[in-house]
Amino acid sequence: MNKFNMGKRGYLEISFGWLFALIVGAFILFLAIYFSIKLIGIGQQESDLKTGKELGIILSPLEIGSESVKSNYVTFPVETRIYASCDEEGGFGKQLIKISQKSFNKWTDTDERVGFLNKYFFSEEPIEGKKFYVFSKPFYFPFKVADVMILTSDEKTYCFTDAPEDIERELLNINQKNFLVNNCTKNSIKICFGAGNCDIEVNYNEGDYEEDSRGYVEKKGEVVYFIGDASMYGAIFADKEIYECQIKRFMKRTEMLAKLYEDKASFVSRVDCNSALELTALANQAKSLESSNDLNGIYLTVKDIKEKNELALCKLW
Amino acid sequence: MSLLCANCGKKAQLKIQQMAFMLIAVTLFFVLIGMFVLVMKFSGLKEEASMLEEENAMLLATKIANSPEFSCGNVFGTTKIACVDTDKIIVLRENMAKYSDFWGVSNIEVRKIYPKSDEIVCNLGNYPNCNVIRLHSQEIKGTPMSNFVLLCRKDVYEGESYDKCELGKIIISYEGKW
Repeated sequence: MNKFNMGKRGYLEISFGWLFALIVGAFILFLAIYFSIKLIGIGQQESDLKTGKELGIILSPLEIGSESVKSNYVTFPVETRIYASCDEEGGFGKQLIKISQKSFNKWTDTDERVGFLNKYFFSEEPIEGKKFYVFSKPFYFPFKVADVMILTSDEKTYCFTDAPEDIERELLNINQKNFLVNNCTKNSIKICFGAGNCDIEVNYNEGDYEEDSRGYVEKKGEVVYFIGDASMYGAIFADKEIYECQIKRFMKRTEMLAKLYEDKASFVSRVDCNSALELTALANQAKSLESSNDLNGIYLTVKDIKEKNELALCKLW
Repeated sequence: MSLLCANCGKKAQLKIQQMAFMLIAVTLFFVLIGMFVLVMKFSGLKEEASMLEEENAMLLATKIANSPEFSCGNVFGTTKIACVDTDKIIVLRENMAKYSDFWGVSNIEVRKIYPKSDEIVCNLGNYPNCNVIRLHSQEIKGTPMSNFVLLCRKDVYEGESYDKCELGKIIISYEGKW
């Protein structure tokens, strides 16, 4: 028994030092690998957040000055997904951007989103690709409220058919590569102004000027309403949820601007500059908007204010 | 056993002590390395955040005059580019609490640069006999970025109102929060 035990002890003999070193070594290695993985994850999240913030910042020059429309593009070095969502909470609501990029054939994942109070992106969620076009157009209600920014990927082509002349001309002038006019390709997403077998249908009623057009857009069995060409483009390219949220954000800013112009009206009256516009009514109607369907209810007030301001000797905007 | 190995207990205790010290030393070493890596990483992060703030301020300085809260629109005849309606921003200044963080900068200042005169900060009482409109706070903080703009307002002469435009500068300052 003793002999047997001794033989076995010799076979398994590991000194206390070795055993301790092995356990501690394994523990340290585990910790090192664990924290390295965590750090790589944090690094990817950091990169995604930074890219999101940069995207919002570099698009600032696309805000419209005197032009009626502008288009440009952004290119990423790797395959990228842009999640441009919207949060209607707060005084102005918020544009949220989340970026996910392909790393080692896997999409990076983060829950963090970068927020902008003064940006309004209209797109599907997400859009994917390396090259993204940004098309911007000012939204007037009746004064300029903000710029509608349409984000599209160059992997998707959009074809406009039977569009009114002004819209066709505008689309041809901006020369955005993923927008086709009438000459549709097999894989392009078809946008029809009128009846037809299309992916997106636009019911468009022309007005006296482009901010005066009205109608609705039907997409994936859902309907959203618009006033003015800028919001029409928003309705075409954005998911319904995003569009409705951005319209509410526009109305929040409309309310603020209406109050600002009202204060300005009483301020400039000291230099014999008088105007009597129903800006309080507009602010109240904008505040109570529930969905894009209510835009038609505000239309008459907007039109009336616009006409009165244009005829006034002392314009407010 | 106890007779043959009288010092075994003491030796084992010593080895355990040695190992414990070694373990503490190794742990401390890795903690220090970890802290060093984190400090390096976060100092880079701070730099990048500051650079983004700077870029935002720079681009905003070139474009903010076109924002509806600032722009002249068609008030002074035809549409003017890089034109600030000072009648509008002096009123905006009074409602700035609602616009805090809207442009993501710490201060926006509009300064008349010609004709040159002593600095007088504007308020509703002394406007238009002043030359600086500060929108966010009373003091300029952080690094400024500026752009030349046209400053237009309605004025009155012998009972008749007219448009008055002067040369000015819009200064955007961002505060390094990092």
